[in-house]
Amino acid sequence: MPRILRLGLGLVVLLVVVAVFLGPYAWIAASSFKPQDEIFRDLEPLSWRTFWPTSPTIENVVHLFENRRMGRALLNSAIVSTCQVILTLVLCSTAAYGLTRIRFRGANLVFALVLMTFLLPLESLVVPLYMTVSGLSLQDTLIGAFIPWIASPFGMFLLRQYFEELPRELDEAARLDGAGHFRIFWSIVLPNVRVPMVTLALVTFLFSWNAFLWPLVILSSPGNTVVQIAIAQSVAPGQLPNWGETFAGATVATVPLILLFLFLQRFFVRGVALSGVKG
Amino acid sequence: MTRTARKVAHWATILAFVGPFLGFLLVFQYWPLVQMVNDSLYDFSLLNPARRTFVGIENYTWAFTDPDRIQAFQVTFGLAIGTICLILPVSFLLAVYLNGKLPARGIIRTIVFLPVITSAVVIATMWTFLLDANNGLLNSALTALGLPRGLFLTDKVQALPSVIMMTLWQQTGFATVLFLSGLQGIPQELEDAAHVDGATAWQRLRFITVPLLIRTTVFVVVIMTAFALQAFAPALIMTGGGPEGMTNFVAYDIYKLAFILEAPGLASAVSVIFTLIVLAISLLQMRLLRARWNY
Repeated sequence: MPRILRLGLGLVVLLVVVAVFLGPYAWIAASSFKPQDEIFRDLEPLSWRTFWPTSPTIENVVHLFENRRMGRALLNSAIVSTCQVILTLVLCSTAAYGLTRIRFRGANLVFALVLMTFLLPLESLVVPLYMTVSGLSLQDTLIGAFIPWIASPFGMFLLRQYFEELPRELDEAARLDGAGHFRIFWSIVLPNVRVPMVTLALVTFLFSWNAFLWPLVILSSPGNTVVQIAIAQSVAPGQLPNWGETFAGATVATVPLILLFLFLQRFFVRGVALSGVKG
Repeated sequence: MTRTARKVAHWATILAFVGPFLGFLLVFQYWPLVQMVNDSLYDFSLLNPARRTFVGIENYTWAFTDPDRIQAFQVTFGLAIGTICLILPVSFLLAVYLNGKLPARGIIRTIVFLPVITSAVVIATMWTFLLDANNGLLNSALTALGLPRGLFLTDKVQALPSVIMMTLWQQTGFATVLFLSGLQGIPQELEDAAHVDGATAWQRLRFITVPLLIRTTVFVVVIMTAFALQAFAPALIMTGGGPEGMTNFVAYDIYKLAFILEAPGLASAVSVIFTLIVLAISLLQMRLLRARWNY
């Protein structure tokens, strides 16, 4: 293909992608800094004003934090996601070690049990899961929001693959030096699986931060709300939405993830692609 | 150490490593599964689940005959099929573009992937306003291009296609990344050999790339099916399941039955049916995935 044609094609594809994929983000972000009437006024006819706040105001954001408990929701989301990431890493890495490094009867059965849950749609389990978690008196607690997901079949599966690849000569040498399993796990295996651990941490954080159905079911008091519920409550049908505030909420909830993504893109793309069957 | 002592220590170590994970898995995945099947045979309320009446398969007969439930399954599969039919060509072409030596590849890949990391809630919120019939950005853009305006979510016919369009937008980046890694797995020698033999770009695409990507395509179909079947936020945030049940996706239907209409027994029966269907589809797709291509 001649150079000029290639450049032209590149430009067209880039323009379409920018308009279709970035356009909505730009509109939402710009409108977060506009009063309601200005959002509507700038909408038609379509112009650069639609995507840019000409007289920016932070009123929406301030209102969001003062009247809509956005600060609290962000804090709760951060707590839930952090706990979920840490506990998922602990449970999945120990289990993956046990299944790959210690020989025992029943290891295959355990692995089969893990594999089978891969196919289960979480959406269909919410009702009995709600009853299980309330049976443990964890309903409407932040613990209840993350505890069902920390034994992540996806996480175990991901780590197990990497643990398998680590040469066994490493632990044999350590064992000759008198190291036990805990020692080998901590100082030999873990330092060698940093990349999959970071990948798992990021994917878990992403799923936890973005989770909606389960938090909606299990959390009920306003003090326990998380970011996604806070946003959803301002748009649900039947509500008269305040556009500027809703947009500001969406922006505030998404910006941290986008920043994280831009810096750690390769882990994200790999991790999400690997997460495969289980969404 | 005696033999028994060593054995006890061995099993204690195993328990320490595998026990916690297995315990949580049993309590939070397998126990609810058993409970779901059991609950589906009873009539009870969430406020007082201990007081329940056994109704046998009554919940199932209702789920199989109630027109609203049947419609919920139909629109959910409509969403899955519609999304897959559109996303395969779009993401394949994008991946072919990104795989070539063409300009602006990095930035296009990043931009297309943004919706994948954005939450379903934010996307549904964004699209509620994009698709707003009066003050929506899409209608404004259509007017600017001289095209007729749409009713989108408020119209019985346009609602489901609107959600399909949104799902396409949301998942294209994901499917593109999967296709891209499939394309990068094709050995360059094959392409080169065909090139030497005088195959045109179209022939190389048709007879080398497409056949070798069958496995990837099945994988994309598996994942997109899973995503479509999970659709919940669009129904709750954008439409409330309407108009006339046209976006009443199963996940939302289950939620509504259990937590709003206070009929967890009925919801459990629908859940069991849904789980069985999803399991059947997954197993079928995984069988197809096992067909490996050697090259």
